[in-house]
Amino acid sequence: MASRYLATYRQFWRLNTLTMLEYKTNFFIWLFFTIIYHGVAVGTIWIMMSRFPSMNGWSWREVFFLYALYMLAHTLNNTFFFTIGDVPTHVQEGDFDRFLVRPLDPLFQVLSQPGQIWPDELALAVVVFGVAQSLVHLQWTAASAVLLVLAMFGGALIDFAIQLAVATLSFWVIRLDTLRWVVMSLENDFTRYPLSIYNRGVRILLAYVFPFAFMNYFPATTLLHKTSGPGYTINPALGWLTPVIGMLWFAGAYLFWRAGVNHYKGTGS
Amino acid sequence: MRIRPYVEFAKRAFSREGTYRTQVFTHIGSVLLRVFLLSMVWTALYRNNGEQAGITLPAMITYATLALLLDLIYGVNGAYVIREKIREGSIAIDLMRPISVPFYVLADTVGQTLFASMQIIPALGLSLFIVHLDAPATLGAAFAFLVAVLLGFVVNFFLDLIMATITFWTMEIFGVQLMVQFISSLLSGSLVPLYFFPPGIIQQLAFASPFAAIYNAPLSIYIGKVTGLQIVTTLGTQVVWAFVFGVVALGLWRLGERQVVIQGG
Repeated sequence: MASRYLATYRQFWRLNTLTMLEYKTNFFIWLFFTIIYHGVAVGTIWIMMSRFPSMNGWSWREVFFLYALYMLAHTLNNTFFFTIGDVPTHVQEGDFDRFLVRPLDPLFQVLSQPGQIWPDELALAVVVFGVAQSLVHLQWTAASAVLLVLAMFGGALIDFAIQLAVATLSFWVIRLDTLRWVVMSLENDFTRYPLSIYNRGVRILLAYVFPFAFMNYFPATTLLHKTSGPGYTINPALGWLTPVIGMLWFAGAYLFWRAGVNHYKGTGS
Repeated sequence: MRIRPYVEFAKRAFSREGTYRTQVFTHIGSVLLRVFLLSMVWTALYRNNGEQAGITLPAMITYATLALLLDLIYGVNGAYVIREKIREGSIAIDLMRPISVPFYVLADTVGQTLFASMQIIPALGLSLFIVHLDAPATLGAAFAFLVAVLLGFVVNFFLDLIMATITFWTMEIFGVQLMVQFISSLLSGSLVPLYFFPPGIIQQLAFASPFAAIYNAPLSIYIGKVTGLQIVTTLGTQVVWAFVFGVVALGLWRLGERQVVIQGG
Protein backbone atom coordinates (compact mmCIF):
# COMPACT_ATOMS: atom_id res chain seq x y z
CA MET A 1 0.00 0.00 0.00
CA ALA A 2 2.68 2.43 1.09
CA SER A 3 4.71 1.68 -2.00
CA ARG A 4 1.77 2.70 -4.20
CA TYR A 5 1.64 6.08 -2.50
CA LEU A 6 5.36 6.45 -2.86
CA ALA A 7 5.28 5.56 -6.56
CA THR A 8 2.43 8.01 -7.20
CA TYR A 9 4.20 10.75 -5.33
CA ARG A 10 7.38 10.15 -7.27
CA GLN A 11 5.40 10.48 -10.51
CA PHE A 12 3.95 13.74 -9.22
CA TRP A 13 7.39 15.27 -8.81
CA ARG A 14 8.59 13.78 -12.09
CA LEU A 15 5.73 15.52 -13.90
CA ASN A 16 6.39 18.80 -12.09
CA THR A 17 10.04 18.64 -13.09
CA LEU A 18 9.17 17.81 -16.69
CA THR A 19 6.81 20.79 -16.81
CA MET A 20 9.60 22.98 -15.52
CA LEU A 21 12.02 21.74 -18.17
CA GLU A 22 9.42 22.14 -20.90
CA TYR A 23 8.49 25.73 -20.02
CA LYS A 24 11.92 27.14 -19.24
CA THR A 25 11.12 30.78 -20.09
CA ASN A 26 8.02 30.61 -17.96
CA PHE A 27 10.04 29.17 -15.11
CA PHE A 28 12.60 31.96 -15.22
CA ILE A 29 9.97 34.69 -15.53
CA TRP A 30 8.19 33.36 -12.45
CA LEU A 31 11.45 32.96 -10.58
CA PHE A 32 12.31 36.56 -11.39
CA PHE A 33 8.81 37.61 -10.40
CA THR A 34 9.21 35.83 -7.05
CA ILE A 35 12.47 37.64 -6.43
CA ILE A 36 10.85 41.00 -7.24
CA TYR A 37 7.84 40.23 -5.06
CA HIS A 38 9.96 39.51 -1.98
CA GLY A 39 12.37 42.28 -2.93
CA VAL A 40 9.56 44.84 -2.86
CA ALA A 41 8.27 43.48 0.47
CA VAL A 42 11.70 43.68 2.08
CA GLY A 43 12.44 46.99 0.33
CA THR A 44 9.29 48.48 1.82
CA ILE A 45 10.37 47.48 5.33
CA TRP A 46 13.87 48.82 4.70
CA ILE A 47 12.67 52.18 3.37
CA MET A 48 10.09 52.59 6.11
CA MET A 49 12.62 51.81 8.80
CA SER A 50 15.38 53.94 7.30
CA ARG A 51 13.33 56.86 8.70
CA PHE A 52 11.75 55.07 11.62
CA PRO A 53 14.57 52.85 12.93
CA SER A 54 12.61 51.21 15.74
CA MET A 55 9.38 49.23 15.54
CA ASN A 56 8.59 48.52 19.18
CA GLY A 57 12.25 47.82 19.80
CA TRP A 58 12.78 45.81 16.59
CA SER A 59 15.39 47.09 14.13
CA TRP A 60 14.89 46.67 10.40
CA ARG A 61 17.31 43.76 10.43
CA GLU A 62 15.20 42.01 13.04
CA VAL A 63 11.97 42.72 11.14
CA PHE A 64 13.70 41.31 8.05
CA PHE A 65 14.63 38.21 10.07
CA LEU A 66 10.95 37.91 11.01
CA TYR A 67 10.07 38.01 7.31
CA ALA A 68 12.74 35.43 6.42
CA LEU A 69 11.59 33.04 9.12
CA TYR A 70 8.01 33.28 7.88
CA MET A 71 9.18 32.80 4.31
CA LEU A 72 10.96 29.54 5.22
CA ALA A 73 7.85 27.95 6.72
CA HIS A 74 5.44 29.41 4.19
CA THR A 75 7.40 28.34 1.12
CA LEU A 76 7.97 24.88 2.61
CA ASN A 77 4.19 24.57 2.86
CA ASN A 78 3.68 26.04 -0.60
CA THR A 79 6.12 23.61 -2.19
CA PHE A 80 4.49 20.49 -0.84
CA PHE A 81 0.88 21.40 -0.10
CA PHE A 82 0.09 24.21 -2.53
CA THR A 83 -2.72 22.38 -4.33
CA ILE A 84 -4.91 22.31 -1.22
CA GLY A 85 -6.12 25.72 -2.39
CA ASP A 86 -7.70 24.04 -5.44
CA VAL A 87 -10.24 22.11 -3.36
CA PRO A 88 -12.98 24.78 -3.64
CA THR A 89 -12.58 24.70 -7.45
CA HIS A 90 -12.68 20.88 -7.51
CA VAL A 91 -15.89 20.94 -5.46
CA GLN A 92 -17.51 23.70 -7.52
CA GLU A 93 -16.73 22.09 -10.84
CA GLY A 94 -17.76 18.65 -9.60
CA ASP A 95 -14.48 16.89 -10.30
CA PHE A 96 -13.86 16.16 -6.64
CA ASP A 97 -15.76 12.92 -7.20
CA ARG A 98 -12.80 11.60 -9.14
CA PHE A 99 -10.76 11.52 -5.93
CA LEU A 100 -13.43 9.46 -4.18
CA VAL A 101 -13.59 6.62 -6.67
CA ARG A 102 -9.84 6.09 -6.90
CA PRO A 103 -8.18 3.69 -4.48
CA LEU A 104 -5.97 6.28 -2.76
CA ASP A 105 -6.68 8.67 0.10
CA PRO A 106 -8.55 11.76 -1.24
CA LEU A 107 -6.34 14.23 0.64
CA PHE A 108 -3.22 12.57 -0.75
CA GLN A 109 -4.66 12.82 -4.25
CA VAL A 110 -5.47 16.52 -3.83
CA LEU A 111 -1.90 17.13 -2.69
CA SER A 112 -0.37 15.28 -5.62
CA GLN A 113 -2.07 17.03 -8.54
CA PRO A 114 0.79 17.96 -10.85
CA GLY A 115 1.10 21.55 -11.95
CA GLN A 116 3.63 24.32 -12.07
CA ILE A 117 4.97 23.39 -8.66
CA TRP A 118 8.67 23.92 -8.24
CA PRO A 119 10.90 24.31 -5.22
CA ASP A 120 12.36 27.60 -6.51
CA GLU A 121 10.71 29.78 -3.88
CA LEU A 122 11.85 27.45 -1.10
CA ALA A 123 15.41 27.72 -2.40
CA LEU A 124 15.06 31.49 -2.46
CA ALA A 125 13.75 31.42 1.12
CA VAL A 126 16.87 29.57 2.25
CA VAL A 127 19.06 32.20 0.59
CA VAL A 128 17.03 35.06 2.10
CA PHE A 129 17.22 33.43 5.50
CA GLY A 130 20.97 33.03 5.12
CA VAL A 131 21.29 36.77 4.57
CA ALA A 132 18.88 37.62 7.39
CA GLN A 133 20.60 35.43 9.99
CA SER A 134 23.95 37.03 9.23
CA LEU A 135 22.46 40.55 9.43
CA VAL A 136 21.13 39.91 12.94
CA HIS A 137 24.27 37.92 13.93
CA LEU A 138 22.22 34.92 14.95
CA GLN A 139 24.03 32.93 17.65
CA TRP A 140 24.34 29.42 16.30
CA THR A 141 24.12 26.79 19.02
CA ALA A 142 22.71 23.27 18.95
CA ALA A 143 19.58 24.63 20.60
CA SER A 144 19.06 27.46 18.11
CA ALA A 145 19.57 25.10 15.17
CA VAL A 146 17.01 22.65 16.53
CA LEU A 147 14.57 25.46 17.29
CA LEU A 148 14.98 26.76 13.76
CA VAL A 149 14.20 23.40 12.18
CA LEU A 150 11.21 22.92 14.49
CA ALA A 151 9.94 26.41 13.65
CA MET A 152 10.28 25.79 9.93
CA PHE A 153 8.51 22.43 9.88
CA GLY A 154 6.01 23.29 12.62
CA GLY A 155 5.29 26.62 10.92
CA ALA A 156 4.66 24.91 7.60
CA LEU A 157 2.28 22.54 9.39
CA ILE A 158 0.36 25.46 10.95
CA ASP A 159 0.17 27.12 7.55
CA PHE A 160 -1.05 23.92 5.89
CA ALA A 161 -3.54 23.06 8.66
CA ILE A 162 -5.21 26.46 8.47
CA GLN A 163 -5.45 26.29 4.69
CA LEU A 164 -6.81 22.76 4.95
CA ALA A 165 -9.52 23.92 7.36
CA VAL A 166 -10.48 26.85 5.13
CA ALA A 167 -10.52 24.62 2.03
CA THR A 168 -12.70 22.09 3.86
CA LEU A 169 -15.36 24.74 4.40
CA SER A 170 -15.99 24.59 0.66
CA PHE A 171 -17.86 21.29 1.19
CA TRP A 172 -20.57 23.36 2.87
CA VAL A 173 -20.10 26.92 1.61
CA ILE A 174 -19.83 27.73 -2.08
CA ARG A 175 -18.53 31.27 -1.92
CA LEU A 176 -15.41 31.30 0.17
CA ASP A 177 -13.50 34.09 -1.53
CA THR A 178 -13.93 36.67 1.20
CA LEU A 179 -12.92 34.38 4.07
CA ARG A 180 -9.97 33.03 2.12
CA TRP A 181 -8.91 36.54 1.39
CA VAL A 182 -9.05 37.61 5.03
CA VAL A 183 -7.04 34.58 6.18
CA MET A 184 -4.50 35.14 3.41
CA SER A 185 -4.11 38.78 4.38
CA LEU A 186 -3.72 37.92 8.08
CA GLU A 187 -1.05 35.49 7.05
CA ASN A 188 0.86 37.48 4.45
CA ASP A 189 0.50 41.03 5.70
CA PHE A 190 0.07 40.83 9.46
CA THR A 191 3.02 38.45 9.99
CA ARG A 192 5.45 41.01 8.55
CA TYR A 193 5.57 43.07 11.72
CA PRO A 194 6.20 42.24 15.38
CA LEU A 195 3.03 41.08 17.11
CA SER A 196 3.49 43.65 19.87
CA ILE A 197 2.49 46.57 17.61
CA TYR A 198 -1.08 45.28 17.34
CA ASN A 199 -3.98 45.79 19.69
CA ARG A 200 -5.21 43.05 22.00
CA GLY A 201 -7.82 41.70 19.58
CA VAL A 202 -5.36 41.13 16.74
CA ARG A 203 -2.75 39.66 19.12
CA ILE A 204 -5.27 37.12 20.37
CA LEU A 205 -6.40 36.36 16.81
CA LEU A 206 -2.85 35.74 15.56
CA ALA A 207 -1.69 33.81 18.62
CA TYR A 208 -4.70 31.63 19.40
CA VAL A 209 -7.32 31.65 16.62
CA PHE A 210 -5.17 31.57 13.47
CA PRO A 211 -1.79 30.97 15.16
CA PHE A 212 0.35 32.51 12.42
CA ALA A 213 2.40 34.24 15.14
CA PHE A 214 3.90 30.83 15.93
CA MET A 215 5.30 30.66 12.40
CA ASN A 216 7.71 33.52 12.95
CA TYR A 217 7.08 35.91 15.84
CA PHE A 218 7.40 33.57 18.84
CA PRO A 219 10.37 31.58 17.46
CA ALA A 220 12.05 34.87 16.51
CA THR A 221 11.62 36.36 19.98
CA THR A 222 13.33 33.29 21.42
CA LEU A 223 16.10 33.15 18.82
CA LEU A 224 16.85 36.89 19.04
CA HIS A 225 16.38 37.08 22.82
CA LYS A 226 13.69 39.69 22.41
CA THR A 227 11.36 38.18 24.95
CA SER A 228 10.81 41.38 26.88
CA GLY A 229 9.92 44.84 25.72
CA PRO A 230 8.29 47.97 27.11
CA GLY A 231 5.29 46.73 29.07
CA TYR A 232 5.38 43.05 28.16
CA THR A 233 7.36 39.87 28.63
CA ILE A 234 7.07 36.72 26.58
CA ASN A 235 7.95 33.30 27.90
CA PRO A 236 10.92 32.15 25.77
CA ALA A 237 9.45 28.62 25.86
CA LEU A 238 6.65 29.83 23.55
CA GLY A 239 9.06 29.77 20.62
CA TRP A 240 9.48 26.01 21.10
CA LEU A 241 5.76 25.36 20.91
CA THR A 242 5.43 25.86 17.13
CA PRO A 243 5.47 22.14 16.21
CA VAL A 244 3.01 21.35 19.01
CA ILE A 245 0.60 24.04 17.83
CA GLY A 246 1.12 22.78 14.27
CA MET A 247 0.27 19.20 15.18
CA LEU A 248 -2.77 20.21 17.24
CA TRP A 249 -4.08 22.38 14.43
CA PHE A 250 -3.37 19.73 11.87
CA ALA A 251 -5.16 17.05 13.92
CA GLY A 252 -8.21 19.30 14.23
CA ALA A 253 -8.13 20.31 10.58
CA TYR A 254 -7.77 16.70 9.45
CA LEU A 255 -10.79 15.56 11.50
CA PHE A 256 -12.72 18.47 10.03
CA TRP A 257 -11.59 17.44 6.55
CA ARG A 258 -12.79 13.87 7.13
CA ALA A 259 -16.15 15.20 8.25
CA GLY A 260 -16.25 17.39 5.15
CA VAL A 261 -15.51 14.49 2.81
CA ASN A 262 -18.19 12.37 4.52
CA HIS A 263 -20.67 15.20 4.19
CA TYR A 264 -19.80 15.51 0.51
CA LYS A 265 -20.33 11.77 0.02
CA GLY A 266 -23.61 11.94 1.92
CA THR A 267 -25.22 14.69 -0.09
CA GLY A 268 -23.51 13.69 -3.27
CA SER A 269 -23.32 17.33 -4.24
CA MET B 1 -14.00 59.25 -34.77
CA ARG B 2 -17.55 58.93 -33.49
CA ILE B 3 -17.73 59.06 -29.72
CA ARG B 4 -21.16 57.48 -29.25
CA PRO B 5 -20.20 53.77 -29.52
CA TYR B 6 -17.47 54.31 -26.94
CA VAL B 7 -19.91 55.80 -24.44
CA GLU B 8 -22.00 52.67 -24.99
CA PHE B 9 -18.94 50.43 -24.37
CA ALA B 10 -18.27 52.24 -21.09
CA LYS B 11 -21.90 51.85 -20.01
CA ARG B 12 -21.84 48.14 -20.78
CA ALA B 13 -18.61 47.66 -18.82
CA PHE B 14 -20.21 49.50 -15.89
CA SER B 15 -23.29 47.28 -15.76
CA ARG B 16 -21.23 44.14 -16.38
CA GLU B 17 -19.14 44.88 -13.29
CA GLY B 18 -22.32 45.26 -11.26
CA THR B 19 -23.03 41.56 -11.62
CA TYR B 20 -20.01 40.54 -9.52
CA ARG B 21 -21.44 41.42 -6.11
CA THR B 22 -19.28 39.22 -3.89
CA GLN B 23 -16.14 40.66 -5.44
CA VAL B 24 -17.24 44.07 -4.24
CA PHE B 25 -17.38 42.83 -0.65
CA THR B 26 -13.99 41.20 -0.99
CA HIS B 27 -12.48 44.42 -2.35
CA ILE B 28 -13.95 46.61 0.35
CA GLY B 29 -13.08 44.09 3.05
CA SER B 30 -9.49 43.91 1.88
CA VAL B 31 -9.16 47.69 1.91
CA LEU B 32 -10.54 47.92 5.45
CA LEU B 33 -8.23 45.19 6.72
CA ARG B 34 -5.22 46.98 5.28
CA VAL B 35 -6.35 50.36 6.59
CA PHE B 36 -6.51 48.75 10.01
CA LEU B 37 -3.07 47.12 9.62
CA LEU B 38 -1.31 50.20 8.27
CA SER B 39 -2.79 52.48 10.92
CA MET B 40 -1.30 50.21 13.59
CA VAL B 41 2.07 49.99 11.82
CA TRP B 42 2.41 53.74 11.37
CA THR B 43 1.14 54.48 14.88
CA ALA B 44 3.83 52.20 16.30
CA LEU B 45 6.53 53.75 14.11
CA TYR B 46 5.56 57.31 15.08
CA ARG B 47 5.23 56.41 18.77
CA ASN B 48 8.74 54.91 18.79
CA ASN B 49 10.54 57.41 16.57
CA GLY B 50 8.59 60.68 16.45
CA GLU B 51 7.60 62.68 13.40
CA GLN B 52 9.68 62.41 10.19
CA ALA B 53 10.04 64.47 6.99
CA GLY B 54 7.40 66.95 8.18
CA ILE B 55 4.54 64.48 7.85
CA THR B 56 2.41 64.19 11.00
CA LEU B 57 0.88 60.88 12.09
CA PRO B 58 -2.70 61.92 11.14
CA ALA B 59 -1.41 63.07 7.72
CA MET B 60 0.41 59.74 7.30
CA ILE B 61 -2.65 57.69 8.19
CA THR B 62 -4.70 59.81 5.79
CA TYR B 63 -2.08 59.23 3.09
CA ALA B 64 -2.02 55.46 3.63
CA THR B 65 -5.82 55.18 3.70
CA LEU B 66 -6.28 57.24 0.53
CA ALA B 67 -3.59 55.18 -1.21
CA LEU B 68 -5.58 52.04 -0.43
CA LEU B 69 -8.79 53.65 -1.71
CA LEU B 70 -6.98 54.70 -4.91
CA ASP B 71 -5.92 51.06 -5.32
CA LEU B 72 -9.59 50.32 -5.91
CA ILE B 73 -9.69 52.46 -9.05
CA TYR B 74 -6.11 52.13 -10.27
CA GLY B 75 -6.27 48.38 -9.83
CA VAL B 76 -8.87 47.89 -12.56
CA ASN B 77 -6.49 47.04 -15.46
CA GLY B 78 -9.02 46.88 -18.29
CA ALA B 79 -6.18 46.58 -20.83
CA TYR B 80 -5.71 43.02 -19.66
CA VAL B 81 -8.43 41.79 -22.09
CA ILE B 82 -6.01 42.53 -24.94
CA ARG B 83 -3.77 39.73 -23.68
CA GLU B 84 -6.68 37.29 -23.76
CA LYS B 85 -7.74 38.48 -27.22
CA ILE B 86 -4.26 38.02 -28.64
CA ARG B 87 -3.91 34.60 -26.99
CA GLU B 88 -7.20 33.36 -28.35
CA GLY B 89 -6.71 35.03 -31.71
CA SER B 90 -10.01 36.90 -31.50
CA ILE B 91 -7.97 40.11 -31.87
CA ALA B 92 -8.11 39.51 -35.66
CA ILE B 93 -11.89 39.96 -35.61
CA ASP B 94 -11.63 43.05 -33.40
CA LEU B 95 -9.18 44.59 -35.85
CA MET B 96 -11.72 44.17 -38.66
CA ARG B 97 -14.41 46.02 -36.72
CA PRO B 98 -14.88 49.71 -37.51
CA ILE B 99 -13.61 50.75 -34.08
CA SER B 100 -10.26 51.60 -32.54
CA VAL B 101 -9.34 48.73 -30.22
CA PRO B 102 -7.21 50.85 -27.82
CA PHE B 103 -10.09 53.32 -27.46
CA TYR B 104 -12.54 50.48 -27.01
CA VAL B 105 -10.31 49.22 -24.17
CA LEU B 106 -10.12 52.74 -22.73
CA ALA B 107 -13.92 53.04 -22.79
CA ASP B 108 -14.25 49.65 -21.16
CA THR B 109 -11.72 50.63 -18.48
CA VAL B 110 -13.53 53.91 -17.82
CA GLY B 111 -16.78 52.00 -17.31
CA GLN B 112 -15.14 49.53 -14.95
CA THR B 113 -13.35 52.32 -13.11
CA LEU B 114 -16.57 54.28 -12.61
CA PHE B 115 -18.10 51.19 -11.06
CA ALA B 116 -15.00 50.66 -8.93
CA SER B 117 -15.06 54.26 -7.74
CA MET B 118 -18.56 53.70 -6.38
CA GLN B 119 -16.97 51.21 -3.98
CA ILE B 120 -14.91 54.07 -2.62
CA ILE B 121 -17.94 55.59 -0.90
CA PRO B 122 -18.73 52.64 1.40
CA ALA B 123 -15.01 51.84 1.79
CA LEU B 124 -14.31 55.43 2.84
CA GLY B 125 -17.33 55.52 5.15
CA LEU B 126 -16.33 52.32 6.90
CA SER B 127 -12.67 53.40 7.08
CA LEU B 128 -13.81 56.37 9.15
CA PHE B 129 -14.86 53.91 11.86
CA ILE B 130 -11.27 52.63 11.97
CA VAL B 131 -9.14 55.76 11.50
CA HIS B 132 -9.42 59.52 11.62
CA LEU B 133 -8.84 61.17 8.23
CA ASP B 134 -7.58 64.71 7.72
CA ALA B 135 -9.55 66.98 5.39
CA PRO B 136 -7.67 68.22 2.30
CA ALA B 137 -5.18 71.02 3.05
CA THR B 138 -7.31 73.65 1.24
CA LEU B 139 -10.32 73.75 -1.07
CA GLY B 140 -7.96 74.36 -4.00
CA ALA B 141 -5.93 71.33 -2.92
CA ALA B 142 -9.11 69.24 -2.89
CA PHE B 143 -9.85 70.24 -6.46
CA ALA B 144 -6.25 69.73 -7.60
CA PHE B 145 -6.29 66.32 -5.87
CA LEU B 146 -9.22 65.21 -8.02
CA VAL B 147 -7.51 66.44 -11.19
CA ALA B 148 -4.31 64.65 -10.15
CA VAL B 149 -6.24 61.40 -9.54
CA LEU B 150 -7.70 61.68 -13.03
CA LEU B 151 -4.26 62.25 -14.56
CA GLY B 152 -2.86 59.41 -12.47
CA PHE B 153 -5.59 57.20 -13.92
CA VAL B 154 -4.53 58.11 -17.46
CA VAL B 155 -0.83 57.41 -16.77
CA ASN B 156 -1.75 54.12 -15.12
CA PHE B 157 -4.03 53.13 -18.00
CA PHE B 158 -1.37 53.76 -20.63
CA LEU B 159 1.16 51.83 -18.57
CA ASP B 160 -1.25 48.87 -18.46
CA LEU B 161 -1.87 49.27 -22.19
CA ILE B 162 1.86 49.20 -22.95
CA MET B 163 2.23 46.02 -20.92
CA ALA B 164 -0.76 44.40 -22.61
CA THR B 165 0.43 45.39 -26.09
CA ILE B 166 3.73 43.58 -25.53
CA THR B 167 1.64 40.37 -25.82
CA PHE B 168 1.85 40.84 -29.59
CA TRP B 169 5.49 39.75 -29.33
CA THR B 170 5.54 37.42 -26.33
CA MET B 171 2.83 35.49 -24.53
CA GLU B 172 4.76 35.23 -21.27
CA ILE B 173 3.58 38.63 -20.19
CA PHE B 174 1.58 37.91 -17.05
CA GLY B 175 4.62 37.50 -14.81
CA VAL B 176 6.30 40.55 -16.32
CA GLN B 177 3.16 42.60 -15.83
CA LEU B 178 2.98 41.62 -12.17
CA MET B 179 6.64 42.54 -11.74
CA VAL B 180 6.05 46.01 -13.16
CA GLN B 181 3.03 46.31 -10.87
CA PHE B 182 5.09 45.47 -7.78
CA ILE B 183 7.93 47.80 -8.71
CA SER B 184 5.34 50.48 -9.44
CA SER B 185 3.67 49.96 -6.06
CA LEU B 186 6.95 50.81 -4.36
CA LEU B 187 8.18 53.62 -6.63
CA SER B 188 4.76 55.29 -6.94
CA GLY B 189 4.66 55.94 -3.22
CA SER B 190 1.60 53.78 -2.67
CA LEU B 191 3.29 51.67 0.04
CA VAL B 192 5.62 54.23 1.61
CA PRO B 193 5.56 57.97 0.78
CA LEU B 194 8.53 58.94 -1.38
CA TYR B 195 9.41 61.55 1.30
CA PHE B 196 10.53 58.69 3.54
CA PHE B 197 12.91 57.22 0.95
CA PRO B 198 16.59 57.53 1.96
CA PRO B 199 17.73 60.99 0.81
CA GLY B 200 19.99 60.92 -2.20
CA ILE B 201 19.96 59.15 -5.51
CA ILE B 202 17.26 56.57 -4.66
CA GLN B 203 14.81 59.22 -3.54
CA GLN B 204 15.55 61.48 -6.51
CA LEU B 205 15.04 58.58 -8.91
CA ALA B 206 11.75 57.69 -7.25
CA PHE B 207 10.48 61.28 -7.46
CA ALA B 208 11.57 61.50 -11.11
CA SER B 209 10.08 58.16 -12.11
CA PRO B 210 6.81 58.09 -14.05
CA PHE B 211 5.30 55.94 -11.30
CA ALA B 212 5.35 58.99 -9.00
CA ALA B 213 2.66 60.48 -11.24
CA ILE B 214 0.25 57.73 -10.18
CA TYR B 215 0.07 57.85 -6.37
CA ASN B 216 2.62 60.36 -5.12
CA ALA B 217 1.24 63.34 -7.08
CA PRO B 218 -2.40 63.28 -5.89
CA LEU B 219 -1.58 62.19 -2.34
CA SER B 220 1.13 64.84 -1.85
CA ILE B 221 -1.35 67.50 -2.95
CA TYR B 222 -4.04 66.15 -0.61
CA ILE B 223 -1.91 66.15 2.54
CA GLY B 224 -0.46 69.57 1.68
CA LYS B 225 3.14 68.46 1.04
CA VAL B 226 2.85 70.13 -2.36
CA THR B 227 1.32 73.60 -2.35
CA GLY B 228 0.86 76.76 -4.45
CA LEU B 229 2.81 76.90 -7.66
CA GLN B 230 4.27 73.42 -7.00
CA ILE B 231 0.79 72.02 -7.62
CA VAL B 232 0.92 73.33 -11.17
CA THR B 233 4.35 71.76 -11.72
CA THR B 234 3.14 68.45 -10.30
CA LEU B 235 0.05 68.38 -12.51
CA GLY B 236 2.20 69.45 -15.47
CA THR B 237 4.60 66.54 -14.88
CA GLN B 238 1.64 64.17 -14.80
CA VAL B 239 0.42 65.53 -18.13
CA VAL B 240 3.88 64.99 -19.63
CA TRP B 241 4.01 61.37 -18.44
CA ALA B 242 0.46 60.73 -19.64
CA PHE B 243 1.45 62.08 -23.05
CA VAL B 244 4.72 60.10 -23.26
CA PHE B 245 3.09 56.85 -22.17
CA GLY B 246 0.16 57.48 -24.51
CA VAL B 247 2.46 57.96 -27.51
CA VAL B 248 4.49 54.84 -26.62
CA ALA B 249 1.34 52.75 -26.07
CA LEU B 250 -0.31 53.77 -29.34
CA GLY B 251 2.98 53.44 -31.24
CA LEU B 252 3.49 49.91 -29.92
CA TRP B 253 -0.10 49.13 -30.78
CA ARG B 254 0.43 50.25 -34.38
CA LEU B 255 3.51 48.03 -34.69
CA GLY B 256 1.75 45.03 -33.18
CA GLU B 257 -1.31 45.51 -35.31
CA ARG B 258 0.78 45.58 -38.46
CA GLN B 259 2.47 42.35 -37.41
CA VAL B 260 -0.90 40.61 -37.04
CA VAL B 261 -2.08 41.87 -40.42
CA ILE B 262 1.10 40.73 -42.17
CA GLN B 263 1.34 37.34 -40.45
CA GLY B 264 -2.37 36.74 -40.50
CA GLY B 265 -2.60 36.45 -36.68
